[in-house]
Amino acid sequence: MRRLALLLLAALGLNAQALHLDEVQERRLANGVRLLVVERRGLNAFHAALVFRGGRAEEPPALAGATDLLARTLYGATWPEDLEASKGAGSLDALLKEEEGLLESLRLERLRQRKDPAAASQASALGASLWTLHEAVRARFSSSPLMDVYAARGGRQTAVASADALLVQTELPMAAFEFWCHTEAQRLAILQLSRFSEARAALAAELRGQGSQGLALLQGAALPGHPYGRDLADHLPALEAMRRSELQTWARRACGPDRLTVVLIGGLAMEAVLPLVERSFGALPTVQEAEDPLLPEIPADLGDRHIQASLGGAPGLLVGWRIPPRPDREHLALRLAACLLGGGPSGRLTQRLVHQKALAQSVEVRMDLPGGRLPGLLVISLVPTEGHSLAELEGALHTEILRLQQEPIPAEEWQRALTQIDVDQLRVQDEPAALARALCLAWVEAGDWRQAEQELQRLRNVGPEAVQAAARTWLNPSHRTTLWLQAGTDAGQDPLEAETARVLKALAATRIEDLAQREHMVAEGLRQLRMLSMEERRRTLKLLEAQLSPEKR
Amino acid sequence: MRSLATLAAFILTVQGQALPSIRPQMFTLPNGLRVVLLEDHERPLVRARLHLTLDSEAATRPGLAPLALRVLRHSDAAAFRMEDFEQLLAGAGIELTSALRSDGLSWSLLARSRDQDLALGLLADRAFRSIVDPATLEAERLACWRETERLDASPRAKLRSLLEPDWTLQAPTLARLTAITYEDLLAFYARTLRPDRAVLVLQGDLGQEQAKRLVVLSFGTWTVQPPPPVPGAPTSVPAPAPTPASSPAAPSPEAQRIQVALAGAGLRAMAVAAEPEDLGVEAGALLALLLPGNPVLFPAQVTLEGQDLVAILDAEPLGSPSAVETSLRERLQTLRQRGFTEQDLDRARAAWLAGRALTSLHPGSMVDEALAEARGRAVTPEGMAAVTLGHLNEALRRWLDPARLHTGVVGGSNR
Repeated sequence: MRRLALLLLAALGLNAQALHLDEVQERRLANGVRLLVVERRGLNAFHAALVFRGGRAEEPPALAGATDLLARTLYGATWPEDLEASKGAGSLDALLKEEEGLLESLRLERLRQRKDPAAASQASALGASLWTLHEAVRARFSSSPLMDVYAARGGRQTAVASADALLVQTELPMAAFEFWCHTEAQRLAILQLSRFSEARAALAAELRGQGSQGLALLQGAALPGHPYGRDLADHLPALEAMRRSELQTWARRACGPDRLTVVLIGGLAMEAVLPLVERSFGALPTVQEAEDPLLPEIPADLGDRHIQASLGGAPGLLVGWRIPPRPDREHLALRLAACLLGGGPSGRLTQRLVHQKALAQSVEVRMDLPGGRLPGLLVISLVPTEGHSLAELEGALHTEILRLQQEPIPAEEWQRALTQIDVDQLRVQDEPAALARALCLAWVEAGDWRQAEQELQRLRNVGPEAVQAAARTWLNPSHRTTLWLQAGTDAGQDPLEAETARVLKALAATRIEDLAQREHMVAEGLRQLRMLSMEERRRTLKLLEAQLSPEKR
Repeated sequence: MRSLATLAAFILTVQGQALPSIRPQMFTLPNGLRVVLLEDHERPLVRARLHLTLDSEAATRPGLAPLALRVLRHSDAAAFRMEDFEQLLAGAGIELTSALRSDGLSWSLLARSRDQDLALGLLADRAFRSIVDPATLEAERLACWRETERLDASPRAKLRSLLEPDWTLQAPTLARLTAITYEDLLAFYARTLRPDRAVLVLQGDLGQEQAKRLVVLSFGTWTVQPPPPVPGAPTSVPAPAPTPASSPAAPSPEAQRIQVALAGAGLRAMAVAAEPEDLGVEAGALLALLLPGNPVLFPAQVTLEGQDLVAILDAEPLGSPSAVETSLRERLQTLRQRGFTEQDLDRARAAWLAGRALTSLHPGSMVDEALAEARGRAVTPEGMAAVTLGHLNEALRRWLDPARLHTGVVGGSNR
C-alpha cells in the first residue's frame, strides 16, 4: 500500500517545470563583447564567467595545447605583478623575453645533442643562465602568502580549456565587482603570461604521466584528421617548442573582444554594471578578425571501425558513434536517447548489463565528446565483469541499441528521462555557477545563449518515436567506432605496439629531419595501425621491419 | 599595538557586514534526532543532509565502515527491493548519495520541491529501514576488493590512496576485508545508525510546521536498536591495530617511502598529512587560505582535499626519487619553521571574512555551514578574532610535523 502511494506521488511529480531565462538581459559593446546579466537580489556575491569561443578545435597543429596553456598561464592565479604593463630594460616583460630566448636555445641544444651525443654541450651553461633568470623573475613577485589578488579578497577563479572554448569562472564578494572589471580587462590588455615556462613544463609532464588514454584513442580513430580527434599527447614536441611570444600573438586573436561573452550573476543590475563593464572590457581594442579556420568535414557514415589497444590497465570497452552538432534538430532526440541508455543506476544499460546480465561492472554514457559545436561523439564506456569477454559485452551492448531502435519505449522509462532533464534544468536555475556555464555553452555550441531555454521547450515536444528514429539514423554501425582495451601488462604498453613504435621511429629517422614532425608521424602511424586486427598488425610490423637496415632490426 | 588595532578593525568590519543569510531554525524529535531547517521559498529544489557521527570503535576495524556503507547502498530498503528503490529515486529525479569520512557518514539528498515527501521518506528508508542480508555482504566484499585492485589503472591515484591517512578513505587490504563478519556489520549499524547520533539539515521551500510534519512522518519511528550479541573475535585474520591520524609513528623517510612505477613519466613526490584532530576550526580555516599557493613552497604545490593537506613536487629532469622526496619535505619544513607573520594573519582573516559572502552562491555550502554549526564545528567571527599568531603557527607546526607526513613518489621504475 505504502509502495503504491509512493509510486503515485512520484507520478504526480512528473509535470515539467518551465525554465525562466527571461531574467537574462543582454547588451553588446561597441568592440563586440557580449554581456549577459542575471540579477539575483539577495546575493551579496557575484559569479562571473568569461567564455572565449574557439578552443582546442581552432588551434593550428603548431600551436596544439595553446588553449590549455592560456587556461594555466593567463588565468587561475592572479598576482599583482601580472597586471603591470612594464616595458623597457630590466622590466618583467624584458626578463620574460630573455627567458624565451634562453628556453629556445636550450631546446635547440638538446635537439643537437640527441643527433650528435659526442659533441660538446652548452646545455649546462644555458640551464644555469636560465636558473639565474628564473630567480630574477621570481624576485619580482610578492613572497607573502595570499598573493593571489582574488584569494586575498575572499574570491576564487578557475579556468578550463575545452574543444570549443576557454571558460573562466570567478566568484567574488559584491564589493569587489569594480576591481574584477579592472583586473580582467587589464589581464587581457597586457597578456603578460609570466608563468608560461612553468605551465608549459607542467602540462608536458602531465601529458607524459597520463600516457595514452582510451578516450583519446577512440576520438582519434572516430574523427581522423579532424581537430576534435586530436590527442594533445601526440603533439608534445610542438607544445615544448611553443614560445611565449607565439602564445601571446595567438591569444590576441583567440581572446579578442568579438569572441568574448561575459556572464554576470548576482545582486547586480544591468544599469549598475554596464558603465563599469563598458569602461573596462569596452576599452579592449578590436581585433582584425581573421577568417575562422576551415575545419575538415568528416562524413558521419565513415564506416564501422574497430581498434584494439592495451594501455596497462583494466580491460574496457568504448563505443563511439559520430553524431550531429548541437544546433542539429536530431541532437535533442539523441540527448534523450543518451538519457534513456545512461541516466545513472536506473538507466537501461546499468539495469540490463550490470544488474540483470552481470556482464559489466560499470556503465557510462556521454554526449558531445569532445565538443558540441561540431559533429562529435556519443560514447558508451563499459567495464566487463570478471569472466566475461569484451566480445560478449559488445554483443550485449549492440542488442540494447537495437532494442532502443526497434522496441517501443515503456512510458515509465520515458517519463524518467524527462524528469531527469527537468531536475537538471532546475539545478541550473538554482546554482549560479551552473546557470553561467549553461549560458556560456549554449552560446559557444549552439550559437545563441537563448538555446539554453529554447532547447528545453523543444525537448518537451520530442516524442519517443523521434528518439527511436534518431537512434536508427545515428547509432548505426556505419557511424560507429569500437575500442577494445585489453587487460595490460605491468609495463603499461602492449609489446607489439612498443615494437611497432620502435620500428616506425627508426624508419622515420631515416626520412624526416624535423623531430617534431617525426614524432607526430609516428603517433599518427600507430593510431592507424590500431585499427587493424592483431594478426594484420603483426604482418605490418614484419613488412616495416623489412625496410630497416639489418643492424637496426 | 598595531595588531590590537587591526583586530579591533576586524571586529568592527564583522559587525558591519551582517550577512543577509537564511536564519537556521532548529528542533529536536523525541527520539533525539536534531533537525536544522533553512527555510527558503525561492528555491526550486530541496536539499537534505543526514549526518551520523562515528564512534571511536569504528576506527579499530579499518575497512568496516566503508564496507558497511557499501552494503547499505546495495540492500533492500523497507518494502522496496534495491532495484525498485533505485527506480523510485530515478522516477522522481531524486539524487541520494552517501559519503564517509573519519568524522562521520552522511547522506545527501536533492529533489524537486514537489517531491520532498517522497524524498525524505526514501532517505529514512535507506538510513534506518535497510534490510541487510549476508549474501549482499559477500557480494560487496568482493566488489570492494576488485575496486581496490583497479586502482592500479592510475598510478597517481594509487599513490594518493597508499598515502591516505584517513582510515575511512584508505583502500582496505584483503585481510581486513575478509575479517569482517555479518555480525560485525549489524553491530556497526546498531552503534552508528541512531537518531541520537544524527543531525538532519533541510533546505528549501518548506516552512517550519511543514518540515516538522515531514520529519516526524519519515523519521519519527526511528529508534535506537539494541546491539546484536557480541561476536567472537575474528578468527581468520586478526584485525591490525589502526594508526590513528593524530598520533602516527615517526619512521624515517627512507623506511616510509612508497614508490609507484609509471613508465615514461617524470618523477613526482607527494606528501599527505591529515589535519590534526584538535587543531581548532578557526586555525584550520586560516591555514586553508595561507597554505595553497604559498611562495615559500615554490615550485611545490599544496592543496587541501577534505581534511588532508596534499603537497606535490615534480622532479628536475635528472632527479632521483630520494632527491625529489627530500626536496618536498625540506620545503614543507622550511615553511613550518618560518611560520606566518601578523600581517599574514590579518590578510587571511580579511580574506575569510570577505569570502563568507560566497556561500550565498552555493546552496550546498549553506547546508554545510548549517551542519557545521549544529555539530559545533562552525568558524565564527568571534573565534576568528581570538586566534593569535602563536596559535596559528603552533597549528602549522603540528600539521606539518614530519612524523605526520606520509610521503611517496610516482614515476620511474618500482623499487
